[in-house]
Amino acid sequence: MKFDTIIIGGGLSGLTAGIELSRKGQKCLIVSSGQSALHFFSGSFELCSLADDPYEAIAGLGDGHPYSKIGLENLKELARGVKPFFKEVGISMKGVKDANHWRITPLGAFKRAWLTMDEYATLPSDGKAPWKKVAILNVDGFLDFHTSYLASGLSEIGVESVIRSISMPELEHLRKNPTEMRSTNIAKTLTGDIIGVLAARINEYAKDVDAVFMPAVVGLTGCSDVVRLREKVDRPLHFIATLPPSVPGIRLQLMLKRHFQKLGGTYMLGDSVTGGLFEDGRLKSITTENHGDVRFEADNFILASGSFFSKGLVSDIDGVREPVFGLDVDSIDERPQWYRRNMFEAQPYMSFGISTDNDFRAKKDGLPVQNLYGAGAVLSGFNAMKEGSGAGVSILTALHVASLLNKQ
Amino acid sequence: MSKNKIDTSFEQCMKCTICTVYCPVVAVNPAYPGPKQAGPDGERYRLKNPLFYDEALDLCLNCKRCEVACPSNVKIGDLIQNARLDYGTHKPKLRDYILANTDMMGTLATGMAPVVNFTLGLKPVKMVMDKVLAVDHHRTFPKYAGQKFETWFKRYALKKQEQFSRKVSYFHGCYANYNNPKLAKDLVKIMNAIGYGVNLLEKEKCCGVALISNGFKEQALKQAELNLSSIRKAVGRGEPVLTTSSTCTFTMRDEYEHILGLENNDVRDSIALATKFIYEAVDSGQVRLAFRKDYSKRIAYHTPCHMEKLGWAIYSTSLLRLIPGVDFLMLDSQCCGIAGTYGFKKEHYRDSQKIGEGLFQQIRDSRVDMVATDCETCKWQIEMSAGVQVENPISIIADALDVEETIKLNR
Amino acid sequence: MKEYDVIIIGGGITGAGTARDCAMRGLKTLLVERHDFTAGATGRNHGLLHSGARYAVTDQESAEECIRENMILRKIARHCVEETDGLFITLPEDDLAFQSTFIDSCQRAGIRAEAIDPAEAIMLEPSVNRSLTGAVRVPDGAVDPFRLTIANIYDAQLHGAEVLTYHEVTSILKEGDTVVGVEVCDAHTKEKKQIRSRLVINAGGIWGHHIASLAGANVNMFPAKGALLIFGHRVNNMVINRCRKPADADILVPGDTICLIGTTSSRLPYDQIDDMKVTPEEVDVLLREGAKLAPELAQTRILRAYAGVRPLVAADNDPSGRSISRGIVCLDHETRDGIPGFITITGGKLMTYRLMAEWATDLACKKLGLDKKCQTADICLPGSEDETSSDKSSGKRERRSGLGAKAARGRHGSRSVNINVADKRDESLVCECEGVSVAEVNYAIETLNAKNIINLRRRTRLGMGTCQGELCACRASGLLAKANGCARKSVEDLASFMNERWKGMFPVAWGDTLAEAQFTSWIYEGVCGLDAFEKKEE
Repeated sequence: MKFDTIIIGGGLSGLTAGIELSRKGQKCLIVSSGQSALHFFSGSFELCSLADDPYEAIAGLGDGHPYSKIGLENLKELARGVKPFFKEVGISMKGVKDANHWRITPLGAFKRAWLTMDEYATLPSDGKAPWKKVAILNVDGFLDFHTSYLASGLSEIGVESVIRSISMPELEHLRKNPTEMRSTNIAKTLTGDIIGVLAARINEYAKDVDAVFMPAVVGLTGCSDVVRLREKVDRPLHFIATLPPSVPGIRLQLMLKRHFQKLGGTYMLGDSVTGGLFEDGRLKSITTENHGDVRFEADNFILASGSFFSKGLVSDIDGVREPVFGLDVDSIDERPQWYRRNMFEAQPYMSFGISTDNDFRAKKDGLPVQNLYGAGAVLSGFNAMKEGSGAGVSILTALHVASLLNKQ
Repeated sequence: MSKNKIDTSFEQCMKCTICTVYCPVVAVNPAYPGPKQAGPDGERYRLKNPLFYDEALDLCLNCKRCEVACPSNVKIGDLIQNARLDYGTHKPKLRDYILANTDMMGTLATGMAPVVNFTLGLKPVKMVMDKVLAVDHHRTFPKYAGQKFETWFKRYALKKQEQFSRKVSYFHGCYANYNNPKLAKDLVKIMNAIGYGVNLLEKEKCCGVALISNGFKEQALKQAELNLSSIRKAVGRGEPVLTTSSTCTFTMRDEYEHILGLENNDVRDSIALATKFIYEAVDSGQVRLAFRKDYSKRIAYHTPCHMEKLGWAIYSTSLLRLIPGVDFLMLDSQCCGIAGTYGFKKEHYRDSQKIGEGLFQQIRDSRVDMVATDCETCKWQIEMSAGVQVENPISIIADALDVEETIKLNR
Repeated sequence: MKEYDVIIIGGGITGAGTARDCAMRGLKTLLVERHDFTAGATGRNHGLLHSGARYAVTDQESAEECIRENMILRKIARHCVEETDGLFITLPEDDLAFQSTFIDSCQRAGIRAEAIDPAEAIMLEPSVNRSLTGAVRVPDGAVDPFRLTIANIYDAQLHGAEVLTYHEVTSILKEGDTVVGVEVCDAHTKEKKQIRSRLVINAGGIWGHHIASLAGANVNMFPAKGALLIFGHRVNNMVINRCRKPADADILVPGDTICLIGTTSSRLPYDQIDDMKVTPEEVDVLLREGAKLAPELAQTRILRAYAGVRPLVAADNDPSGRSISRGIVCLDHETRDGIPGFITITGGKLMTYRLMAEWATDLACKKLGLDKKCQTADICLPGSEDETSSDKSSGKRERRSGLGAKAARGRHGSRSVNINVADKRDESLVCECEGVSVAEVNYAIETLNAKNIINLRRRTRLGMGTCQGELCACRASGLLAKANGCARKSVEDLASFMNERWKGMFPVAWGDTLAEAQFTSWIYEGVCGLDAFEKKEE
């Protein structure tokens, strides 16, 4: 079967590229081996969190960094398009283009973020809280969100809080199962007509506070429940991320996928690429697990298969490899050098990834494959955790590669 | 309780919880532990002590949507099915035996189809079946045809096949044989039109999917061995083995190895849904299809769970999209709730309907003339619950096909 | 000031056993531990219920002690023991002639040892290396050292003993030459206090060397490091040993949901005993040798690596430390060094902890003029009181109950009935890998002295499973915050727990383990911002 572009990996990066290419009329196929890391989304995109001004921080990054390959001016241009891009998908986000704000984490910490979903709690760049007193709500018996941590974090910035627990008969059935009082199962219950009931319950607790915080357990398949709930609650209602699975992340994944399909894209889930046919420095076609000897051909290919978690990179006792095509990988030979003993130090393995040229063309046996591009977490040269650049690299490298391919 | 080959894919589980999001059962029935607990989490404990087996695993539909969602390639559904077969203590009931033995029932019933269909449709009979056999009275058994496809084929079609030099073999399965011979005849019609003769397998038994899910592993194994042996002979003659049911296909390609432990790698790639075979032939230019000018329908495609697992919806939908008169709509891929014999059982009826509700609603809202799907049990469920006619893509193509023109194009 | 009859220093299995024995004989007992129970060598070994066969050829005395204690533990500590039996296998590279020497020695020590056909061995234990040329079946088993220690502590408390964890002994109080108590420092508040007693028993394991020096005595300890690897599931159901002279990585022990291979043996400078690292070379040896016992190990996920220090009393200059007897050393410092009121109990091994405790308590009673018989071999530990508390029957009664209840019954034996399940909320699982419920966590906090997540891990297996704490640590931390009323402290504890997990993971962090580590970092550092709560002085 023949496509214009085949994208391997159906997460944030792969879908962003797929949508951008489909918008310009390309016939795209995405092959995704299972669901993506968006299922652990925090609600915010980070661009670069090393300073208040992300671009100032980006300017200081090294040559091998994916951002440096995009180039600062080009990157700024692409970054301007991100908010409208997601708006078109149906996700509206807050944040200004050249200043980070603060996101409030489930443990009550404050982390820099660039764009945050509208319904999430944030602080402006100066860190000053717009509330004096807030109500923190949790679903009774939900173990993946701890009100006291959030309260403790807020008290450190001078925000007083009251903690309330919500129980509703509709949620009682989940309690029968010792493991399934999960964010997503709560969201499957808190949908439709029950939103009104929930809002009334929240309003009981929202009388003398400036804002209400609750875990992100509403809006699994679309934004309508979230919008309705926020309309019906008398005070500003803000969500805080939970432990996995991430309800807003799954919604984002679903909406990106739907948008991609609406633009004519083909999305194959639960299939993995078994190999590729290379000829004259180009990738001609790929084969997959589910389709056996069927060849999927394309003019261009994008590898957006993620990092270790997503199996875009795999390691064994002897080293790190890219499992789909055996592409060149930037890593360290000596295993003890992959790690730092302190979990919270920058872990060198986090920066491993495939080796690419300045146009993100993946290298195989030292030479760039002419029509195979890398995007997102599979790339080398950045530490998403320490730089706060994970989503930024995923989105911007995808948009950049897509723009290169759209120009062809 | 030791098995010859322990599936250690549970070791790859990252405990990321993604599978729990996509399990249709856990969303409606909290008595089910969910795929993570029932699969990889539970497996570690079952290896320690079989007493840790939880009978609630019987609630699993075997839809494999957990496996499709898993980013770490854990064979969650297989782990659960294997645990049920290895550790389950529930004795299958007479009802399960009847539901599982589609071959036997089909053979008995087709002989006296009008009587059986009439009887099974009677309200008092349904109530007796509900009370005595715990087959839910809301269900209507699929009607049995008066004449098996095999009988028809041998009598009316076999001879014609000799004129074709290129041949395929056809695994028709129970449903096409006993309940819906038209589907099988439609396949013969299409294949003949595009220049292929159709052979039946030397011997064919039910693929065994219902036997596996009802706990009759030994019998499933016997039937699987017989089918594989017939398939090998066909493949040996150079004939791919085509099917018209996604579930049979999935069972023979994956479950034979993963659940029954049979080696099928030599023929696995040769077992294919007819839509895949036909689309590939069209896509590569070997075959051309011509359609009737007067065919016009709005058709939505429902992806059966096992089709989702096969990853082959692309073939059926691409073929349907080729029909100029089809206004095509892709439904969200979600479980309809029937899961073969699962939804027939009284204890599962409520869950079965709840699981499918989202799909039924989407179908009702879509105002389509017809739903296309590759699975017969999805067909029964959707027809009963959404009130829309459901057809196999092969039948839709056969109806829309301009046979004379197609024959000409492929001569 | 309150005065005790006896203060026991050290919350390992020896200290715990001694506390139980002392308390059962009616002594007013206090146990002090600088960290948590089982934090030293007790929590860092194979968890092997030795039959004694391993020592039979080289050390008859140890072998005899082992098999006696083995039989006692099967009775008094049913819920801590898995009666798996063990195999001593001969591989093609080993000398099969050693087998008869081995069997003779076992029989002389009273250990049932029966040569079986290699084919039978494969049938009994399908994971075993199929190229084996011989096998001997012995009554080895598995014992959970955490469970065993906690049960001893719990019973000591039930008999009136008091315990102080997170209190480090900073000096030994003396009047003249006589020891009259200890000074302890609270690890959290840094406050020091003096506690008086008629006797002090040093059960500090390898750290006993330092304790003795505080009292002015010199007990030369030989720190021999042993590294082990934990695998993600139970590959084997019987203990597998090599039938040859003891060497590196020649024992594979199943334990609860996992199995572990060990150990290496190497000399360690005394100043490094608090900061042990498993080296890549040790990992390589363990994997290579382990795969010879059960080839499947080579493809099995490794959860973590860790090392313990054998507390051997230095007796000669053997660099490997292996030919030294694991014999029990009970020192009466009054007669040995002229320091009345001070006893050291050391040497020995997990298997002989009860006997060590008996010796130490006998000596203490003699000194205190008390004539009471030791009963620890006859009275079952809490949890093991009835026949059904053995692991084999766990779950039988509760076939239809969930993982949490079944697993808890395995962990707490008959005492699991005290785990209070008031409503469905309490049945929710905190740790999904190991089936630890809210109720069990609360039980551990209220009844088993659990103060932080690491404590919970040792009492419940929370965070010991496949993901090493990816969801459960945060959940447990929330429950602890509720119990102790301090959110900040609990988040800091969470940070240090996750870091502790990582320290065991990184030596083996490749394949799925590395992917898991990355995932854990995404969640805890990325989504949750846990790095902000790292306590730098850790």
